[in-house]
Formats: sequence, structure tokens, C-alpha cells
Amino acid sequence: MIRRAFGDLDRVLRGEKTQLKDLRDGTVDVSFPGLTSVVAILGAVSGLCMGVFALFRDPPVWQQTLASAVKVPLLFLLTLIITFPSLYVFNALVGSRLRLVALSRLLIASLGVTVSVTAAFGTIIAFFSVSTTSYPFMVLLNVAVFAVAGLLGLHFLLQTLHRITTLNQPETTDPDNPASQMPPEPAGEAQPKDQATRAFAPGPLEPLNGLVLAGHVKAVFRCWIIVFALVGAQMSWVLRPFIGSPNSPFAWFRERKSNFFEAVMNAMGNLF
Amino acid sequence: MTGLPLRHRVRGWVDDLLRGQAHGHTSPRALVMILVFCGSGYGLVMGSFGGNPWQMGYSAVKVPMLLAVTFVVSLPPFFVLNTLLGLRGDFRQVLRALVAAQAGLTIILLSLAPYTMLWYASSAHYSAAVAFNSLMFGTASLTSQLLLIRYYRPLIARNPNHRLMLRTWILIYAFVGIQTGWMARPFIGSPRHPAVFLRADQWTNAWVVVSRLFRNLLAGS
Repeated sequence: MIRRAFGDLDRVLRGEKTQLKDLRDGTVDVSFPGLTSVVAILGAVSGLCMGVFALFRDPPVWQQTLASAVKVPLLFLLTLIITFPSLYVFNALVGSRLRLVALSRLLIASLGVTVSVTAAFGTIIAFFSVSTTSYPFMVLLNVAVFAVAGLLGLHFLLQTLHRITTLNQPETTDPDNPASQMPPEPAGEAQPKDQATRAFAPGPLEPLNGLVLAGHVKAVFRCWIIVFALVGAQMSWVLRPFIGSPNSPFAWFRERKSNFFEAVMNAMGNLF
Repeated sequence: MTGLPLRHRVRGWVDDLLRGQAHGHTSPRALVMILVFCGSGYGLVMGSFGGNPWQMGYSAVKVPMLLAVTFVVSLPPFFVLNTLLGLRGDFRQVLRALVAAQAGLTIILLSLAPYTMLWYASSAHYSAAVAFNSLMFGTASLTSQLLLIRYYRPLIARNPNHRLMLRTWILIYAFVGIQTGWMARPFIGSPRHPAVFLRADQWTNAWVVVSRLFRNLLAGS
């Protein structure tokens, strides 16, 4: 199952699971339990790379490395669990045809993209963890990597949602763009109007011209993305520490005080 | 080409590489050999400032190591980003372009080595030697970017997303490379200090140092 799930993730990253012809059933064809396991594994890899910083303290704090490997997957999955119910409810309320299973598969696929990026940047995180003693720098670097990964994952989510819902919605027009219309039944690989010059299949992050998402569905997802980012940021603060400050002994969790945004501002101040 | 003497083949490889024609003719192994040989060659020259053979040896090892470590650390995120942009099918060619540009960088560096030797023969100031080598590395890096762009042209013509990835590679590589170079000091070796492979204070961060210098500059101190 895990091997197949990694294969699914690879095809998601290549865009082979999100071509229009693959989304006709209104869902991303991936195994939810399998991809969840892959998210956990790649999240653990990201956490291990983050926790390398603690291995180069004097004395090394291997418990921090282990804790980070456990907490990073928890961070992503808990954020999803917290924000999913409201997304499903509001999505259904505005009349989106995306049902529970399809929505959960779409979200786990976008989480898969996010953790793939964080795990891939793990080499750079680990490299700087080995080569620097600056804790504020490591905090900011990790925040930057997670922010980029989050943006890419959410961009994937929006693009795929766009493709799924416009394939499955009744005719509708975007009030901001009166010239928009539903595309005709796609023939094989549905392509934008510049197909004559386009010799390659679009990747999973590429917008397809001529597809319009209904305004209310777009609004729900945009709000959800902001909520997801805020919840994710604060969840990371609640679950801290991930890197392990050299000035503090190891602890699984720190006391409740301050917030994520204040901590980032403090790190920037300490860096400069 | 395989029947020719080695020196003719090497000359052919170098010539093809500099002209942006390494794709079809130069094997990956040849590219790596060029990188190691030319990188070590410049490292030997770089480390000769103090006349210490140990420093020369250390620098000969560290210059190709610097390039290799930076490359290996930067590659995984670059691979995933290429995949996300639908460029996985071209990655073999991308990899070849990147390795060819790295090898080109070392050839350019080695070609600038005579200037470094002349500088060392003309001046005994350590900080001037550091500045001059920085200039040589900067010149070689900028020129190798032109080479990289030349190798990327057919890729960009095939898919414009390669242009974004080329810029991303340059950013990631520079970000990691500057830290790697900082960590791997000394390369030139001050005559007042014994030759060492790595400095005792290597566990500092180049970006933190630069940001503090910048802050001090702005503060006027």
C-alpha cells in the first residue's frame, strides 16, 4: 500500500493525476489512507531534518530530533483535521458538487505536495543545521521553507479544485468575466486555446485557460486557505519546539504564551 | 573521438563544453573529471599564497568539494520544483546542463589562475589576496551563468517554465554555495597562521555575518 501510495504521490507531483481527463469522476484518484501514510512518512523526514540542529548542541539533544520527527506530521494532520469539517460544511452550503470523499482526497493530495516540498528542502535545512549555530537564522529558514511549501500545496489545491468543479458544475459564468463560459466536453487531454503551440502536458500547478470557477466556491476556498494558514501557524506554535533553542532544556512542549507571529518578529530582530 | 589520444579528447571535451555543445559529445563522467581536475588546479594556485604545500593541498581538495556539496544539497528541492512544474521529463537534460555549467566554471577558474599567480607574485597583502580571489570567483561564476543559459536555451524553447526554474536554481545554489564557501575556509591561508583544513570558528553563518555587516553599515558604524 505504501509503495502504491508513493507512486500515487509521484503521479500527483507530475500532474498525471490532475489532467482534466483524470478528473471526470469529480475526484483525484488517490488512496486516502495510503497518501495519509505517505504524508506522515515525509513529514517525519522533514521533522528529522529540522531536528538535526539539536544534534549539534553540546551535549547533543537526540530527544529533540525524535520529537520533531513525530510533531511535524502531527502539525499537518492536526491542522487538516481542525479545518476540514468547516470546509466541508461551507462547501456543501454554497452548492459545490465536491462530496466528502472527493474533498478529503483533494486535501490529502495537496498536503502530499506540501510535505514533498518540505522533505525535499530537508537537505538544505539539515545542511544549515550542521553548519551554523545561529538559532534565529534556523527559525527563519524553517519558517520560509514551510511558507513556500504551504503556498505550493495550496496553489495545487486551488488549481485542482478549479479543474474538478468546472468539469462537474452546471453551466455558470463568472460575474467578473461575462465572456467566460464552460468549456466543451474535453477531448482526451483537454487543452487551453493555445494547444497548437503547446507540445507538453500541463503540470499540476498550471492554470488552464478558459476554465472558470463559480464565485461562491472560490470565495469559500480562499477563506479556507487563509484559515488553514493561520491555524497551521498557530498549531506550529502550540506544538513547539521543533528546532530546540540552545538556551532551553529539552521539553516535548513549551508553556502557553505569546504566539507564532510575535516569535517570528523576535527572531528577525535577533538576527539583525 | 574515442580512438584519439587522451589529450586530444580532453581538448575536444573542453572546447565543446565552452561552446555549449557538451550535450551530445561529452559524457557525464568526462564532465565530472573536468570539474575535479580544473577545480583542484585552481585550488592549488589559490592555496599557494603563503607558500605552504599543506594549504595548497587542502585547497585543491576543497574547491571541487565546495562545488559538489553545494550541488548535492541544492538538487533535491530543485528536482521536486521541476516535477511540480511538469518538467520531470526534461530533468536528465537539465542535470546535464547544470553539471556542464559547473565544469565550465572550473575551466574558467583555471584559465584565470595565471592572473592569481601574478597577483601573488606582486603583493604580499593577505586581504588583497582574498579580494582578488573573490573577484576571480565572481568573474568565473558570472561567466558560467552565461554558459548555463546557453545550455538552457533549447529547454526554454521547449517549455517556458524552464526559465523560472533556471532562476530558481541560481537563487538556491547561491544561497547554499555562499554558506558552503564560508564553512570551508580557509582557501588562501594567511601566512601568519598554520595551514588548517577548516577553521576552528567554521560553525558561523555567512548570511548572519553579512546581515550584521549590512546593519552596521546602515547604522554608520
